[in-house]
Amino acid sequence: MRIGCLWIPDLPLVALVRAEPELAALPLALAEPGPSGQLAGNLRVIACTEAAVGVEPGQTLAAAQAICPGLHLRAPSAERTRAAAQAALEAAATLSPRIEAAAPGLVYLDLEGLSALFPDGERSVAQTLAAAAEEVGLRAAAGIAEGKTCALLAARAAAADLLAARALKRPWASSSGEGLAGSRGVQLRGWLSSAFRVIARQEQRAFLAELPLAALEPQPELLHTLQRFGLFTLGELAALPAAAAAARLGPEGALLHRAARGDDSAHLVARALPERFEEGEELEWDASSIEPLLFVWKGLLDRLAQRLSSRGLAASELSLLLRLGSGAWDERQIALSAPTREVGPLLQLLRLEVEARPPGEPVRAVRLSLRASRARGDQLALFGPRGASPAQLEAAVARLSALLGEGRVGQPVAPDTHRPSAAAVTKFDPPPPPLLRDAPVAGDAAAEAFLSARALRPPRSAEVRCDGRGSPVAISDGARLSGRVLSSAGPWRTVAEWWTPQPLALDTFDLEVAGGLLLRASRELASGAWWIEAVYD
Amino acid sequence: MLRSGQLRKAGPGPREEAEPARERALSTGVPALDAALGGGLLRGHLTELVAPPSAGATALFRAALGAVTRSGELCALIDPEDAFDPGGSPEPGQPDPARIDLRRLLWVRPASVALALRAAEIALEARFALVVLDLAAALPASAGPPPARSARDLFHQRTAAPLRQLQSVPAQLSLGERAARECVERIDREVRRDRPRNTGPPRPGGSPWARLSRRAERQGGTLLVIARSPQLGPFSSTTVELSRTDPRWVGHPGTPGRLLSGASGAFAVVRSRRGATSNAIALSLGWGTPS
Repeated sequence: MRIGCLWIPDLPLVALVRAEPELAALPLALAEPGPSGQLAGNLRVIACTEAAVGVEPGQTLAAAQAICPGLHLRAPSAERTRAAAQAALEAAATLSPRIEAAAPGLVYLDLEGLSALFPDGERSVAQTLAAAAEEVGLRAAAGIAEGKTCALLAARAAAADLLAARALKRPWASSSGEGLAGSRGVQLRGWLSSAFRVIARQEQRAFLAELPLAALEPQPELLHTLQRFGLFTLGELAALPAAAAAARLGPEGALLHRAARGDDSAHLVARALPERFEEGEELEWDASSIEPLLFVWKGLLDRLAQRLSSRGLAASELSLLLRLGSGAWDERQIALSAPTREVGPLLQLLRLEVEARPPGEPVRAVRLSLRASRARGDQLALFGPRGASPAQLEAAVARLSALLGEGRVGQPVAPDTHRPSAAAVTKFDPPPPPLLRDAPVAGDAAAEAFLSARALRPPRSAEVRCDGRGSPVAISDGARLSGRVLSSAGPWRTVAEWWTPQPLALDTFDLEVAGGLLLRASRELASGAWWIEAVYD
Repeated sequence: MLRSGQLRKAGPGPREEAEPARERALSTGVPALDAALGGGLLRGHLTELVAPPSAGATALFRAALGAVTRSGELCALIDPEDAFDPGGSPEPGQPDPARIDLRRLLWVRPASVALALRAAEIALEARFALVVLDLAAALPASAGPPPARSARDLFHQRTAAPLRQLQSVPAQLSLGERAARECVERIDREVRRDRPRNTGPPRPGGSPWARLSRRAERQGGTLLVIARSPQLGPFSSTTVELSRTDPRWVGHPGTPGRLLSGASGAFAVVRSRRGATSNAIALSLGWGTPS
């Protein structure tokens, strides 16, 4: 089975530079911090950039700083490394639906059936895989071979090619038939470089034969035994008879022998991609205000948008996780009315959410997690003005809600009730504009409209004097809505909701008050109290 | 170019030729008012509707909301008095005669006039086609709505300026005039309250109306301000004034068949940047279907 392997060498360093691209040009070394959290002394260098001339992994920090005086020291970030590993998985998923995440930064792909999509052969598959990793900000090596073990070895060989090319500062490419096994190449684009190696079936034995035994990472005791036998390369091991190797070296030796011959029995265990896209950041200092968080969120959203864009997706749900000073996580869910990958509105929604409910403690780490769905395209008007996108509308409604308070912004709803002037709001989620708009109705230029009422919420308590027949003759609310009643109509009786704790029993009147006001007033049957409900306008 | 709406700017002819004004305007839902306005409410401009209570201002802006939402465009209603009735009909359960598509209407209920101005600005920035700012107070501000969350977000205080200089209030005013005076007093009081001290005299162009005018022009939205007395001054592109006459009753007083059948008023375009003002045009308000 043809297997592809995407490998991110020095994943913590690549994750760091992915989050802060300006670090690529600096002499930078990565080291695990000591118990006190300090980066100094006898701690060992894990990885370093090319600008750190003379520094190598394994050196102590003291030695590295003596060799390279301007060396910058950083600790690996678990959040960034996690996000970079997930980005590698997504890059691989752009080529094949069957992928296996073997380790952080190591992904295997089932390449069966891709020949129809890539008629130029596996070389273009490898190039596309490496380019997909570059697109999400990863420096990667890709290998294609028969079986997982050989594909990984091909990717490691490509990584070695990448190091050599970066030292020489020139890209190159070659095909089979030049004395070296496999088709290979290196692309240099500043920090973002990639390399690939494709091992054809018939070349696999030759490719493996050149590699040292340590390439298959055998147990140290077994490696020592083989070296005592005078075996140093996979080719020498593969030349042994299989039965004799198994008899002398045991089951582990037999497996190693098969791997050295290119017989890989390990199957690809395909798993579904994680449903959520995540990016995170650990802060160097605890953040107790919104400004540093905004800066961090912007970078995280940029990277998430890049990942979504590479897969043609958009965010449909956004979660914000804040790790607080006490170590607890504060999780917020932010609903999105429509899928989007626009960074501006998403950033504004995050800001409004945290401003509305600030965390009680300083923030040490943040993580953005979003669920993706297919991006929805909006048809723009050809000649008319451009309307707001769903994401912009969502952001505007969130701003208004934060400014005015919950329940004061939304789509108006007339509740199913007999109570006068009842109103409620619900989530504002307008439908898309109609494809065909109503044509204007031709006719006379009529100057007619519907008599409407301005509701008084809550209704104004009033004193009303009635004549002998019960019709109001004067009304007073103690303020402006007072005067002699010139004309009236009513009553209209409403008796409803008697099955509830607050039954409704009203007599309603339309009143014309001296001065020109038209009012709607009601008298409660139970108490006899009068209320002014609305002003006709 | 299409996305940014620049096509008309790149056209060979003058702007009016490429895009006639009547295509840019929003219908008010009242054909006679559309005709008086030269096609409707201008996009990118501020329009003011000045009316005493019970003269039909609510009826007109509901008609406009109905026409614009039915055409598929989005509207926002900034309603600091919480006076909007989503049902629209005096009879509960009956359909709204103005036929407002509530799905396309954002109802915003700020707690003060200063917040209402800020909300209108946000709505214009969000590219709502029509933003109605209802400052026609039927009553003095009540203590009902909760206070705003953050003083910083309330308003750009540095640019807040007195909306109008108050004149001495005559001893005897009609009910409508008194309501208009109180509305002006209240707006002025709230804007003064939210303005920080020692900020010096107001800067030219720093009034909230100037800012709203710029927002409307930039985003192509229409701001319709409902007020009891003129508020916008030179920032109003069009000012329509309504006057009230008499309600119409049918049936004999005191009898069960007596009904309020409507009211008669009049409107006139008293200011227009297009230069076309109008004489008073009779306006009929009723319950039935307009012809």
